[in-house]
Amino acid sequence: MSRINDVGGMQGFAPAGQELDEPPFHADWEAHVFAMNRALIGRGAYNLDEFRDAIERMPPQEYLAASYYERWFHAITVLLVEKGVLTAQEVSGD
Amino acid sequence: MTERFRAGDRVLTSRADPLHHTRLPRYARGATGTVVELEGRYPLPDDRSRGLPAAPEAVYAVRFSAAELFGAGDHQVTLALWESYLRPFPGRGQANE
Repeated sequence: MSRINDVGGMQGFAPAGQELDEPPFHADWEAHVFAMNRALIGRGAYNLDEFRDAIERMPPQEYLAASYYERWFHAITVLLVEKGVLTAQEVSGD
Repeated sequence: MTERFRAGDRVLTSRADPLHHTRLPRYARGATGTVVELEGRYPLPDDRSRGLPAAPEAVYAVRFSAAELFGAGDHQVTLALWESYLRPFPGRGQANE
């Protein structure tokens, strides 16, 4: 079954828009998420297809409400718990 | 390894609607297109995303008419599609489809 990411050909979304002089990142944390993902894939913690799959598995409401790098951060944390690198408690900081 | 398709071949995309990750978008399923060129050989994301063994396989640029995909429009849409998503068109027993 198709997931929430697969919206090609669907109407009702706002135009994608284009930001003039768009910076690579809109906040420092986004750059950290980007670097963390590169490092984890490079170290073999998971692969790029598992990463895309983890984004697509987000609950639809969360997916639609999340920004681009929020989706990345979600996928990284989900995969690190699933792969046994971190515990859910370590991720939540409890 | 040899490729199953060549530039100019007509192909039909899979109608399958898998539960897992795939790079064949919903709007391009069950559609007829034309192979433009071989783009390279890469592991099938459907398998690699599930931790399954995935040997590199042919990935093609496949061109579709917008009307074939969306029922309207006079532009063309080109997608990078893995060989597993494609079969020859017309295939056996469907020459009259």
